Amino acid sequence: MTAQLALKCSGLTKSFGEKLAVDALDLEVGSRQVFGLLGPNGSGKTTTIRMSLGIYARDSGSVETLGNPDPLEVRDRLGYLPEDRGLYPKMKVVEQLAFLGTIRGLPLRESKKRAAAWLERLGLADRAKAETNELSKGMQQKIQFAAAVLHDPELIVLDEPFTGLDPINTRLLKELILEQRDKGATVVLSTHRMDQVEQMCESICLIHEGRSVLSGVLSDIKTSYGESTINLEYDGEAGSLRDLAGVREVRDSGRTASLLLDEGEASQDVLRQLVDRVRVRSFELAEPSVEDIFLDKVGYIAPADSAGGNGEEVVR
Amino acid sequence: MKAAKILSIARREYIARVRSKGFLITTLMVPAMMGIYAVVFPAMTRADVDVLRITVVDAGTGVGDALATRLADTRSLPFEIQPTQTVDEADVDSIRQEFSDAVRNDEIDGYIVLTPNVDTLALGQYYARETGNLIITETLESAIETTILENWFAGDELARIRAVQRAGMETITVSASGEERGGFLVAYASTMILGMLLYITVLMHGQQMSIAIVEEKNSRLVELIIGAVTASEYMLGKILGVLGTGLTQLGIWMGMVAITILGVLPALAMGAAVAELDLGNVLDVRTLAYFSVFFFLGYLMYATIFAAVGATCDNIQEMQQAMFPAVMPVIMAFMSTLYIMTNPNSFASQVLSLFPLFTPLTMFARVNVSEPPLWEVWLGILLLVGTSALTIWGAAKVFRATILFHGKRPSFRELVRMVRAAS
Repeated sequence: MTAQLALKCSGLTKSFGEKLAVDALDLEVGSRQVFGLLGPNGSGKTTTIRMSLGIYARDSGSVETLGNPDPLEVRDRLGYLPEDRGLYPKMKVVEQLAFLGTIRGLPLRESKKRAAAWLERLGLADRAKAETNELSKGMQQKIQFAAAVLHDPELIVLDEPFTGLDPINTRLLKELILEQRDKGATVVLSTHRMDQVEQMCESICLIHEGRSVLSGVLSDIKTSYGESTINLEYDGEAGSLRDLAGVREVRDSGRTASLLLDEGEASQDVLRQLVDRVRVRSFELAEPSVEDIFLDKVGYIAPADSAGGNGEEVVR
Repeated sequence: MKAAKILSIARREYIARVRSKGFLITTLMVPAMMGIYAVVFPAMTRADVDVLRITVVDAGTGVGDALATRLADTRSLPFEIQPTQTVDEADVDSIRQEFSDAVRNDEIDGYIVLTPNVDTLALGQYYARETGNLIITETLESAIETTILENWFAGDELARIRAVQRAGMETITVSASGEERGGFLVAYASTMILGMLLYITVLMHGQQMSIAIVEEKNSRLVELIIGAVTASEYMLGKILGVLGTGLTQLGIWMGMVAITILGVLPALAMGAAVAELDLGNVLDVRTLAYFSVFFFLGYLMYATIFAAVGATCDNIQEMQQAMFPAVMPVIMAFMSTLYIMTNPNSFASQVLSLFPLFTPLTMFARVNVSEPPLWEVWLGILLLVGTSALTIWGAAKVFRATILFHGKRPSFRELVRMVRAAS
């Protein structure tokens, strides 16, 4: 990890009335990478982001954004795609983008030029003069992403950027994010989409109830878990995977299942039990997925409104 | 604070405001209304009657017929004079019953009773359904007066008396810079115009800005903006944008007035009338300078108050309730000017003109009709600027503290706490 951190939070705390939203949170984001900020709904991700960007005042603790204790000092080097998104409905798309560039410190002329280039890039050049409210949700979201990166920020924070995007635009956005990283920017990705984190993030921090419960380089975290997960394909009765000795958690999807092993448990013992109960079609010993780790730490995936969550209930 | 960012916010706000329907509507409506006012109001002061059927009842003064003839010859009012009734003074009361019934039955509009008097030859009484019209009563009064004088005097003597009557008295305002004839009417009109313009423009654009701020809060756009600019930059930008809108509109109106005076009026062959109207007198530099200063500062302060209202409200309904206290100062200042123009240098006028929320209108009224000490004017301006700055500062703090604060509108005590916490 580089000496210069893109973002560092120490003992960050914020409460709203009685409710403690962020509780003595520590966070370190190394520069020039895609960093995953994970956590269920209401875990304090957005509040943490807002404090890191100088939108909220913190109750206590400190932040260092691009090495500066006051994020507002470096705000022209920050890019932000908020979770609650909005644009001026009556404003022309290209003017809107240009405006959002100027408030991040770009001269108007330069901002206009870049806005036009980005619209070209996003395949929206023909909509440049349209009013924003004539655009689909997906288009608006792409424009908001462009607004977040128009001024070539060094730290880009994207709060649930994939929500509501179709597969084609999801892939496009993924490419654009990696491109920003390759240009030298640090991208903080706040999301529930475990698959995206798996594919894109070098390091992660898992936030639960306002605290950091797990953080570090993703591959290290996985290694530390060891090959402790069995990915199983099987034919058998519903419920036949219950109460397996040596397995602390089963996520049964009917024809496939993930089994989380107890620590030090030999997989062969589990396989023996399985053979007695169901017809095993495939048996694979693997490192846990991010989703497995998430569920292990948090215990559930937030339902319905979380676009990435699959609403799966976990049997303990 | 970065000027470029303030200008960027201001520019966006300005374009949004100027392109709005509200801007177009007020830009066209105000001159239209003023035009209607200019045409209709004088027409209304012309007594507004088709015909005025009046009978003169002479109870032995001998000037009844002369009065009737005089009235019939009056051009300014459409009199239709009935034959004069000559009666005994003792019978007046009973005959009056008859005429009053005629008035009630709309057979005539009114009647004048002339009763003999030792000192003045005759005393007039006017009985009518409508006695509130000053133009009618003054015309009648002066007709009676003239009739009596003509009865008593003749020739040179009469001519001299009439001349004295007409001479009357002129009012001239003495000020440090010179003397000004008939200044009051101009002062009165310009104060009213400033009041109207301030009221209309600030109400229109200030309210639009408040709505825009509330909408931005609701659309959560503000999260994007407030991460990029400080609350003070945002506030100042908004206010500057709205100020630009107001000045643009004022500029358009000034242009319209200039075109009307220079182009349209001569074209309508009214050149002679315009020449008589001393433009140098109407548009003197001092009045224009004060007008500009107080329009600018007043607009700035009231716009700031609207911005503060927008900053503290979460939705439009809430904002409309909170709007009333914001509009109040303009209305109260407007009403105060009516008092100030008749008593410009009383203690109450001093207080009213130095109360910053009223100063734009009240101080302008004072400098218009009198010449208050210069230090008072400057103190007023200073207080006004200070209040605006303080309001902007407070509004930015409140804005900063409430911007992502959802739920009910904070109480005043909570606001104070927020401002403290944010500073």
